[in-house]
Amino acid sequence: METAAKVVVHKAPLKARIYKYRWFYLLFLPVAAFAVVFHYLPMFGILYSFTNYKIITDPVWVGMDNFKRLFSMPNFWTAFSNTLELSIVKLLLNTFAAVILSLLLNEMVNLRVKKLAQTVIYLPHFMSWVVTASVFQLILSPTTAGLVNQILLKLGVIETNIYFLGDSKWWRTAYYIINVWRDTGWGTIIFMATLTGIDPGIYEAASIDGAGRWKKMWYITMPSLANTIITVLILNLAKVMNLFESAFVLQNDAVMDQAQVLQTYVYYQTFNSGGIPNYGYTTAIGLFRSVVGMVLVLACNFASKKVRGRGIV
Amino acid sequence: MKKLLALVLALTLLATLAVVNASAEEVAKPEKISIFIDGTVVTSENGQAQFVARWEELTGIKLEITQPDHDAYYDVLQQTISSGDWPDVLILSSTYYSAYASEGVLWDMTDAWENSATKNSGRFIGDSVIEGLKIDGRLYGFAPTRGNGCLTYVKQAWLDAVDMDAPTNYEEYTAMLDAFVTQDPDGNGVDDTFGVSAAGFIGTEAPFTNYLPEFYQDAYPSFVQLEDGTWIDGFTQESMKGALERLAEAYSKGWIDPTTLTNGTKDCRNKFYDDGFGVFTYWAGTWGTNLKTNLENNGLSGELVALEPIAEVDAYFDRVPPVWAITSACENPEGVFKYFIDTMLDGGDMQMLWTYGAEGTHWSTAAETLFAGTDAEVTYAEGEFHMLENLETPGTAYTKNHIDPMLALATFAEGYYDPQEESVKPEARLSAEVFNTHSKLAQIVPSTEEMSMYNGDLTTLKNELIAKVTMGELSYEDAMARFEADGGKEWSDIIVASLNATN
Repeated sequence: METAAKVVVHKAPLKARIYKYRWFYLLFLPVAAFAVVFHYLPMFGILYSFTNYKIITDPVWVGMDNFKRLFSMPNFWTAFSNTLELSIVKLLLNTFAAVILSLLLNEMVNLRVKKLAQTVIYLPHFMSWVVTASVFQLILSPTTAGLVNQILLKLGVIETNIYFLGDSKWWRTAYYIINVWRDTGWGTIIFMATLTGIDPGIYEAASIDGAGRWKKMWYITMPSLANTIITVLILNLAKVMNLFESAFVLQNDAVMDQAQVLQTYVYYQTFNSGGIPNYGYTTAIGLFRSVVGMVLVLACNFASKKVRGRGIV
Repeated sequence: MKKLLALVLALTLLATLAVVNASAEEVAKPEKISIFIDGTVVTSENGQAQFVARWEELTGIKLEITQPDHDAYYDVLQQTISSGDWPDVLILSSTYYSAYASEGVLWDMTDAWENSATKNSGRFIGDSVIEGLKIDGRLYGFAPTRGNGCLTYVKQAWLDAVDMDAPTNYEEYTAMLDAFVTQDPDGNGVDDTFGVSAAGFIGTEAPFTNYLPEFYQDAYPSFVQLEDGTWIDGFTQESMKGALERLAEAYSKGWIDPTTLTNGTKDCRNKFYDDGFGVFTYWAGTWGTNLKTNLENNGLSGELVALEPIAEVDAYFDRVPPVWAITSACENPEGVFKYFIDTMLDGGDMQMLWTYGAEGTHWSTAAETLFAGTDAEVTYAEGEFHMLENLETPGTAYTKNHIDPMLALATFAEGYYDPQEESVKPEARLSAEVFNTHSKLAQIVPSTEEMSMYNGDLTTLKNELIAKVTMGELSYEDAMARFEADGGKEWSDIIVASLNATN
């Protein structure tokens, strides 16, 4: 890039440069058109957040009214804090579990068993959230059909069934466990790729120097993984406001104070209003979500620069 | 003589004017009608092509159907309305009907209805239903059937097992539930049964209390218009306290299936068929047969008591029926009304098509031997009406198309063969009769600006509090304190005021 910049400074006229790189520009054209049509033009839609818009009638400009209403709604703030909390804790747990699992897989010597284990732990990721929710509703059921409750009862850990998905004290624990079960395997792919890329010579040298398995892991493997862990964390942090499907399929009336997130809040505003929803209001929620997401991306970029010496955007 | 001549001339003139006027009002026949429908009309997997072919044959008009997945119908409908690409005709539930009508999405069909062949046929028996659909005196949708509703079914085998009769009041009802939990009514030697189950403690659409009426009784968690015309929010009334206390007691004693909160209707049906619980409040009429058939398919007794409302329940709710409405974007609404809406209950071939489907695909009068339902093998003589095997679910027979014959708002024309006697099973008929005798029409709630602004948050909050009180997480008093603190009371008051302003 720097070289290209220097070429620019070296004064060839714009027309000549465009002509010189015409084929690159031509190749870039579909991508640019796609970005403009599907990413930039829809941005004008944010204007709706300053209107009352019922789709079938013209939007009415209301200035900041939608935002004032939004910020005065307790349900909105509950959804906002739930979104951050659920996403961030889920992200940390999933990353931590994926790292541990990757380290364990990396230590496996038998290649066949290792591949089989990898395949098995990747599989849950390909189950839809609807199926996942159905399966766990059965496993965690507070009846004789609930496997977990029956085991805990048999072991004497509990005296009565626990409604894991219907009790607000237990819902988040269950939610995190289900997420770890479903996504940890998939998360190991990137860490396994990094681990595979570590030069075996370093391990050999460490062995010659008398390092055991634990020390090799601590002083070679972990430092090699550190950059990847940070990158994964930072990239995923930028997506925390997008939480929807997992929360939507696992939530129910009794746990809304724990499980309502911004995206589901928008959903209920749209489909639970008993009338034609005000899309201006739901767009305002979407705009707020985007702004928070952008702040997080910029914060991540800043953190990345500090930690790794270079940004991610 | 002159006077007589003048009279004859005047009459001739009037007659001529009437003829001229009539031809001026002649409704143009549309070439094509686009309709947006849910799964209550035959699906493509179930012979929709044959249905369409027959409809087009009868009318000479091309019929274009858009039919999203039944469960996602209203999501897709909202998206379609948002896109601006409106169909000519759509099916709407009461909530969407009043909302769309108040926003100008729907064509005002009041005059068309008044002059319609259906209304003036002498066969129409649903004037009160149509009156109930009017908003500010204007009609925006047509219902070919009553709305139907849910009634409570009790397994007779379980009543026999615990040596009880069908309950007639709440005390007997709860005693029955208790026996179903503690006396091993399924006889498997384990106390693993529940009294009653439902898909949630509160329904997702009006009338919200219809899956657990014995507990709600006179309480209603949404907006209700009193006899003097005043609107109130039933959630804030004293009757709701009693309802929540009954639900909480039933839940704590294990009478209600503990997974009610997370159940879908399909979960409930499956548990009922698997003998997981004994009391199920579900749709009247055809579902009486469906429940029986599925129980028998599982090797269980299919005998069900269609329970009359217990003393504390005034009547079951007959919901506001889904309607067929013409959109205001339709270019020829009069033509669409005349050739689509006004033909549905024509008392002849078209009514037959909407009620039973296409001959040869959904029903037949040919001599044949069929496997259908739980009946092992049935032989039909030539000319004997019978429903055919379901294309999507082999081993079961069709029961109807869009119009349930037991709910139809018009009879067949005199002399036209009505196969209802042959097509409706006795248990479905009994269920429908009990329901019809003991039901009341649900109200239609008008849509207001304030309703669309606050009702989403309000409904979420109400449903959460109902669930928490039922499950013992909150007392009624704490729930109402939270209702007030979280803004529920304020939103409720705003909506009630807006509804009263429409009076």
